[in-house]
Amino acid sequence: MQTDFYHGLLAAGTLALMILKTLATVGSLHGDAIARRIEQVRGGQVSLNQGTVHPALLRLEQEGWISPQWGEPETGRRVKFYTIARAGKNQNHIEQGGWERAAGIVAKFVTLSSAQA
Amino acid sequence: MRRLAARLFSLFRRSRLERDLADEISAHLELSAADQRANGLAAEEARLAALRRFGGVAQTTEAFRDARGFPALELAWRDLLFAWRLLLRQPLFAASAIATVSLGIGANTAVVSVLETALLNPLGLRHADRVMAVRNQFVKLNLFQAETSGVEFREMRSLTEAFSAVGAMEGRAWTWLFNDEASRLVGQAVTPDFFRVFDEYPGAGRFFTSEDDELSVVVSDGLWRARFGADPSVVGRTMWLDKKPYRIVGVAPAGFHVPPTAQLWTPLRLDPARVLDSERGRNRTLSVFARRKDGVSETQAREYVRRHVEAVIADDAAHGGEFSRNGYDVELTSFGRYIAGDLRRPLLLLWSAAAVVLFTGCANIAGLLLARSSGRRREIAIRIAVGATPARILRQLLLESLLIGALGGVAGLVVAKLALTLLTRLSLSSAGFLALASLDSRLLVYGVTLALLSGLLFGMAPAIQLVRESHPARVGHGRRRWSRDLFLAAQVCGAFVLIVTTTLLMRSLWAIERIQPGFDPQRVTTAFFLKPQNDPGFFDRLQATLTASQGVQSSALANPVPFAESGVISGFAIKNRQELGVQGNAEGFQITPAYFQTLRIPFLRGRNLEASDTAAAPLVCLIDSRLAEQFFPGQDPIGQEIAMFKGWARIVGIVGAIRRTNLEGESHPAVYYSFAQIPFFPWAAVLVRSTIPADSTIRAAVRQTNPSVPVYDVRSLEERLGATLEVRRAMIMLLSTFGGISLLLAIVGLYGVTAQVVSERTREIAIRTALGARPRQILLPLMQQGLRSGLVGLILGLGAVAYAQHWFAGMLYHVAAFDPIAFGGTMSGVLALSLAAVWWPARRAAGIGPQGVLRHE
Repeated sequence: MQTDFYHGLLAAGTLALMILKTLATVGSLHGDAIARRIEQVRGGQVSLNQGTVHPALLRLEQEGWISPQWGEPETGRRVKFYTIARAGKNQNHIEQGGWERAAGIVAKFVTLSSAQA
Repeated sequence: MRRLAARLFSLFRRSRLERDLADEISAHLELSAADQRANGLAAEEARLAALRRFGGVAQTTEAFRDARGFPALELAWRDLLFAWRLLLRQPLFAASAIATVSLGIGANTAVVSVLETALLNPLGLRHADRVMAVRNQFVKLNLFQAETSGVEFREMRSLTEAFSAVGAMEGRAWTWLFNDEASRLVGQAVTPDFFRVFDEYPGAGRFFTSEDDELSVVVSDGLWRARFGADPSVVGRTMWLDKKPYRIVGVAPAGFHVPPTAQLWTPLRLDPARVLDSERGRNRTLSVFARRKDGVSETQAREYVRRHVEAVIADDAAHGGEFSRNGYDVELTSFGRYIAGDLRRPLLLLWSAAAVVLFTGCANIAGLLLARSSGRRREIAIRIAVGATPARILRQLLLESLLIGALGGVAGLVVAKLALTLLTRLSLSSAGFLALASLDSRLLVYGVTLALLSGLLFGMAPAIQLVRESHPARVGHGRRRWSRDLFLAAQVCGAFVLIVTTTLLMRSLWAIERIQPGFDPQRVTTAFFLKPQNDPGFFDRLQATLTASQGVQSSALANPVPFAESGVISGFAIKNRQELGVQGNAEGFQITPAYFQTLRIPFLRGRNLEASDTAAAPLVCLIDSRLAEQFFPGQDPIGQEIAMFKGWARIVGIVGAIRRTNLEGESHPAVYYSFAQIPFFPWAAVLVRSTIPADSTIRAAVRQTNPSVPVYDVRSLEERLGATLEVRRAMIMLLSTFGGISLLLAIVGLYGVTAQVVSERTREIAIRTALGARPRQILLPLMQQGLRSGLVGLILGLGAVAYAQHWFAGMLYHVAAFDPIAFGGTMSGVLALSLAAVWWPARRAAGIGPQGVLRHE
């Protein structure tokens, strides 16, 4: 049960950050590649339903943080590529900072509690 | 914010977005499968692995859709479509419900639009919100809303801490010679501050300054457009009014019409003698308006004026005056109220009546919805059983009633538009400004909001009850439909209140119509004309021409004539009284001797005015019996002297009192002078008693006597009399329409509910009949329910009338607010109709035989 709880927390809170981070590093990618890239980076620690990236991508697109383009990759099929938009770059920094602060607080709290125990 | 826009936008390109979504997901799956194949999997296995890694395609699609648009909104849209289809399936119910709402909303919106025009801004002025009308009252003399004398105007102008500008106007009429054609123009002489009071700026030229002499004129926008072709160079030109050259100094802005009839304004130069303290209360001919200073509220302004009045009364008492005995006071009225006057109360009453119609309609629809709901319990129970939450069902049901409300609202606006056309065409001559009433955007919002609110009102109770009853655990349980009884009672109550009010007003009208005005108005025609200047023999020649005209039995000249405006009420003094100064107020008439004979006003004592009472002869007058009783109790007034218009006049005769301006109210005492002795009013009227309609006779006679004299306002006395009742008549017409609608709804409601009960209990009734129940035993309990609700409604109605009676008591005349005839009649009428409405379906039930069970199954 506990793995599930943290899995949900990770998926909900960090997927957007992960996508932004991925696009910021790699440039233009399509949905499948973004999902695989995130899986790779996570090193298989947490399994991800690749489908969940799509609603997340839509939300980022609606916020204007990433911009989509329809393109034709090698297979000759209509594929949607995403690149990070300028607003997204800023947001990437903001989210990263926020995450680092949050993680720092949690980390401090965890060390504090274990020291007392 | 951006997201919101994107989501809203997505609502309008659903099909395109759906295609994109499908493309994107299949591309994802294909690329992923290709990737797996590259890892060495077989084609089919690679596809499956890709699907596994993707997770649920359907879930993703749904999650995507939810994030894309507004799921709640799309759901509501689907509910709305569902509600729409339901309505289409029951066109009769839908049509009657929508019609009911539309009548209520239409009546409400139309009345409110009139109300807005009449109460808030009757003349459509832009800056009149801080304008107050100043009038005088003498409470103990029963004299209210009296115009102002010069002294009082001067005093109001000195209250600078309350008012930023004070202006006065006095009625005028002119004969205008334009292109060799004489026409009559009406307008006002105004003080220089008059236009500042209304914060208006001239449309062209300028307004008056204190330097302007009396031969200056400002023309109205209407006259400027109609007669001068809206030519701006008209400023500086000359207008020949009463054969004197007036210089046009400016044009009033469009939309400025104070008073509504004004075509011209000229400067009013108050004779310094008129503002002397000794002249207080004399010549009340000024209409005074004051503009409240910035930051001075109505209450504060009244307080300033009250303090001033106290000082005046104290000073007056110190000099032995009788202001305090007469109850002297200054009234401040907001401009809107000043113009709309007595219409305020009727309109508010109409508004309440329209609200009652809407309320009755809501109760009626709620009853219909309840009746319908028994057929839907199955559907709802199934939906709840398969997992719909009660909140979801409730929302669906409310959406249905909101849809009815909205459709009814839209239809109601159409009704309002039509009703308003009728209402303004009713042409209340006393309220010409009502023609300005129209539906603006705020009223549209009002109508639609009201419609939606009533949708909620009539939808809520049936929906809650339906959801509760449809709970799977409760289906099949016995139900007590108290709310149905309540709705019935509410309808009967509403109908009763409206019909009782209408009946009371009708009985008042009949009582008023029976009042004898003190003269015989039948077959008397009246017409005003402007007196010609430099034509000394005009009156005598006109009188002679009229007398010689065909069909004329008797004719006279007078000013004013009964039931027409243009009279002058003034204070008067009585010679050799201990109290000095003004003793009371009376209306002054100028007449020719044949006046009393023409109007058949009884001559009580003394002698009539005679041809020998010329300008050179001593001033004499007649008084009416009211003045004699009030001011000469137990004395003989004949031979005494009173002063009103011009020095002391000896009373030579007493005539009967008449109702002067309306039938139901007492009039001022009257003093009659001869034209020859009081010549200074610029207009007069012809009165002709004739065997044939005399309109053309009068016009011809005046033209023959002096072609340059304009004749205007030609009407029979009966018309003038009827005009004072037209507000009452219109009220009764509208109220009885409202009452009729409500009564119809209540009767239909009673009938419907009883029929519903009968159809629900057909099986039981048939079995009871089979077991030997007699028709009476079946009939009575069935009628009981409807009748009980009807009785409760009547009792509620009685309570409502008792509570509201002070609202309309002021409009009743010689009828008690609890008039037994009106109440008894209405109650028995409503009861009889209710009885018929429940008896009809119940009788059918009593006819159900045992075979009814079979037929019913």
